[in-house]
Amino acid sequence: MEGDSLSVIKLKDILLVTVPDDPGDNVIQELQVKVLNAMEKFGSKGLLLDISSVNVLDSFFARTISETTQMVALMGGRTIIAGMQPSVAITATELGLHLGKAQTTLDVDRALDIFSDSSS
Amino acid sequence: MDVKEAGHLPITSEGDMITCRKAIRTLATSAGFGMTDVTRIVTSVSELARNIYTHAGSDGVMRWRILLQADKVGLELIFEDQGIGIANIEQAMQPGFTTANSLGMGMSGVKRLMDEMDVHSEVGVGTTVKIMKWGRAK
Repeated sequence: MEGDSLSVIKLKDILLVTVPDDPGDNVIQELQVKVLNAMEKFGSKGLLLDISSVNVLDSFFARTISETTQMVALMGGRTIIAGMQPSVAITATELGLHLGKAQTTLDVDRALDIFSDSSS
Repeated sequence: MDVKEAGHLPITSEGDMITCRKAIRTLATSAGFGMTDVTRIVTSVSELARNIYTHAGSDGVMRWRILLQADKVGLELIFEDQGIGIANIEQAMQPGFTTANSLGMGMSGVKRLMDEMDVHSEVGVGTTVKIMKWGRAK
């Protein structure tokens, strides 16, 4: 099976997670726990979620991202979601989904710019 | 209306939901649907397959057919279970309605993503949801 696991990468003072193209519910739930544990371990100030490969974003995924954003915020961090595909943005809007308080950017580079601006 | 292809897949676990998504992505793409319609269809599959294993309390099945009508191609998907059923379909179709841990956008959202949606349910007997998307034949 693919997409069984995902890596949380420490990148300076933030965490980078690249979500696989068709993640199962278990992968998405695992993401939440891994991210929060890594936040504590590394003292990270934020989470950058790269969803540029993701081609299905349903209500379960949206709810988990929204919750994770809230949990990261409770630990003093900021979440940026980068790289949503056009077809996913259209479908998510038609489905009535929202990602809570998470900020979004067109790509990972722009998200990194925001993180580095806010630290200076 | 001609049936070009047909098949079915079981929905008994979370893993089956991923199998269903992948199968329908391949099928819809080869039938000629564009990227955005494929995403709408696969997202609908994800919502309805999840409804079966989180709410129905029974095994289910997804049946699919590719239909040809004049210059149009249709993808029909039927989700069946013998679970607890939906007492009030009208209420279940309202945006924001939820019984489990979700955003409550599932049923009403799928209706917006697809061209046709038909829900039949009987409490204690089961639920059948039929959805349809039409596109231009290749």
